Amino acid sequence: MSTAAPARAVTGVDRPGAAAPRRGRGRLHGLQWVGLAYVAPAVAVFAVFVLYPLYRTFYTSLYDYDGLTAATWVGLENYREVLTAPELREALLHSLVFLVFYAALPVVIGLALAGLMSRIRVYGLTVFRALLFVPQILSSVVVAVSWRWIYDVQGPLNDLLRAVGLDQLTRGWLGDFSTALPAVGVIGTWVEYGLCMVLFLAGIATIDREQYEAARLDGAGPIREFVSITLPALRPQVSVALVLTITFALRNFDLVWNTTRGGPGTSTTVPSVFVYQDAFQNREVGLASALAIVLTVVILVVVGLVLAALRERGTGARAARGGARA
Amino acid sequence: MTANCSSRSGSWCRTPRVLASGAVLVTTSLALLSCGAPGGETSSSGPATSVEDEITAPVTPEQVAELGDVTLTVWADQAEQPLLEQVIPAYQEEYPNVTVEPSYRSFDDLIATVVNAAASSSPPDVFQGNIGYAVDGALVEAGLVRPLDDVASAYGWDEAPWESSLGPARWNADASAFGDGTLYGVSPVTEIQGIYYNQAKLDQLGLEPPTSLEELATDLQVAQDAGEQPIMLGNADQYPATHILSDLAAADGDPADIRAWIGGQEDATFVTDGNREAAQTMEEWAQAGYFGQGYDGVSNEDAIARFANGEGVFFVGGSWNGASLGEGFGISALPQGGSGAIASPWHVSASTDEVPAAAAFLGMLTTQESAQQILDGGRLPVVTEGVAGATELEQQTLDALEETVADEGQVGYYDWTTTDMLDVMGGSLQEVMAGRTGVDDFLETVQSDWADARAER
Repeated sequence: MSTAAPARAVTGVDRPGAAAPRRGRGRLHGLQWVGLAYVAPAVAVFAVFVLYPLYRTFYTSLYDYDGLTAATWVGLENYREVLTAPELREALLHSLVFLVFYAALPVVIGLALAGLMSRIRVYGLTVFRALLFVPQILSSVVVAVSWRWIYDVQGPLNDLLRAVGLDQLTRGWLGDFSTALPAVGVIGTWVEYGLCMVLFLAGIATIDREQYEAARLDGAGPIREFVSITLPALRPQVSVALVLTITFALRNFDLVWNTTRGGPGTSTTVPSVFVYQDAFQNREVGLASALAIVLTVVILVVVGLVLAALRERGTGARAARGGARA
Repeated sequence: MTANCSSRSGSWCRTPRVLASGAVLVTTSLALLSCGAPGGETSSSGPATSVEDEITAPVTPEQVAELGDVTLTVWADQAEQPLLEQVIPAYQEEYPNVTVEPSYRSFDDLIATVVNAAASSSPPDVFQGNIGYAVDGALVEAGLVRPLDDVASAYGWDEAPWESSLGPARWNADASAFGDGTLYGVSPVTEIQGIYYNQAKLDQLGLEPPTSLEELATDLQVAQDAGEQPIMLGNADQYPATHILSDLAAADGDPADIRAWIGGQEDATFVTDGNREAAQTMEEWAQAGYFGQGYDGVSNEDAIARFANGEGVFFVGGSWNGASLGEGFGISALPQGGSGAIASPWHVSASTDEVPAAAAFLGMLTTQESAQQILDGGRLPVVTEGVAGATELEQQTLDALEETVADEGQVGYYDWTTTDMLDVMGGSLQEVMAGRTGVDDFLETVQSDWADARAER
């Protein structure tokens, strides 16, 4: 077992190291040991706080274990249970819905805001930027409690609906079977769009102004400018934003737990709610570990797919642009 | 990547390999720190009370003094803080060689962490658990808590009113069923379920406090016809509706059946007429709008706050809600039912070196003086003799408790019966109330979760 983890350790850390010497080949030979000394603390911390817990989680997932008394080896039985449980499939579906609210929407909104902010000169832009970023720095429990109030039967959202005469739409948004899932989703959108916006604004700042001038000389309007220059240039930021938001969407626990606890019924359950319940309420630590491992693999696969998709198109587009310019 | 590397030559390859061996070192040495299967080091056999630790009479200050200067670490629900802030100074005065170090957590925090704390190398000496399999069952099964039968006879907990109240803290030998067997915990605080009412609104509507569920059902319609919300309910946490369900079931059915089912007795079943009628009533009331709109999105705290502010005519719930209600509110016990039970039991760590000090601490929590302090703090004491409520509501609640206990109506809570029953029953009941699941499906879902849990034990 102990040899499996180091293999992962290497794939994790060798990329930067491998890339640099590749450029210099033999030249960096003498410096390698010094370089190693520099990364050693980081590797040690990574191993202790990431790899070792990961390995222990995997190890525990092979046992029937209540967290206290002696565990019994069950092999892959926990995984079979995880993959066949209907309530987990439902939870995974909810996670997919959350991908739209937690990842797709924030990226779109972030792009729109960043595009606007980079064009329009607003007095006190920094203040606006900071305000829009606030949701990202608030504690998620604070966010959840605030939104519970907003969504409340007597909360401001329903007050607003009543004020404009849409009385028939008012409801306890988090307590209604049909609206609870999107309602929790919108909270995620609100939390994440500020992060996307700030990432994109930083990306836009690095775009050469001459490109915009050239486009304008060619008669491009604001939309054309955004689609032809801003958007392609932001590809790396978009992929970073997607990695962060997708991870957040799939492992999301605190927002769900503090707003609905998975209810009403099972309408907002997500896999991490079951990880928590199995580990801390049901004392089925092995099962919870297996589910956590499956969740980790799902996140890695989805993020990997997104990265691969964006990277491929990225080089292709860049090559095409280069060709056009030549 | 490592495998590829070893087969290739070239200096750039060396870095990862050295890193790999470094990582191997780190991980293997970490792996060596942990031995064998998870939890292999914990013995699963219960501890035997050693003879010299046996408590045969109430502990005297001299016996405690023999321990020398010691510290008694205590983990408690933060709801206990007002009580302990009165009990601890009195305790330290009587037993001056003991320093009590309390640490308070929210209930959710406490039940999520106390089992691991009790299993750690430095467990608290005295701590609160929670009735049911998730906490107390795990503590008993792993042998982490000391049996308290000797302390019980020394302090009179084997007599009324304690004897019947402490049932849920008794476990059988393999911790597969509770309600009977060895005593592992004691709680000076008890709870009942009841119907809270807003007196001013009853007067307006020309109603008397209901004394039966039939009366309540009629009153609900009257309230609704008058444009009031009949019952204030906040069911976001899913348990409040299950409590109302159990009240209805305990009133309709036999409390003994319910107790047997909760305690995990063989052949017990949830599919009873009492539960079916109760679930049907819940559905009817919800569909009729008696619980108002959006109750699944309102927390219990918000609901009781609204009720205290004059919204809703009735609030059906546990006696702990009474602390939020001021003048103008009353409580009716639910006749021949009312459920409720003792609150989180106090345990003594099986590995504590200060058994006499711990026993003396529990002894002090269970005196009549503490009982009065518990009532003054807005909760209900197990000891009711010689205890008087400061407000009308407190006195009414105390009377309701005595009635409920006399009726043997303290059946406990449905969600004790399996570790995930709260989620299963709570979620499923929400579906019944929303008209999305039939009552029979609900009963089957609950019973099959119960049977699965029994099969695993």
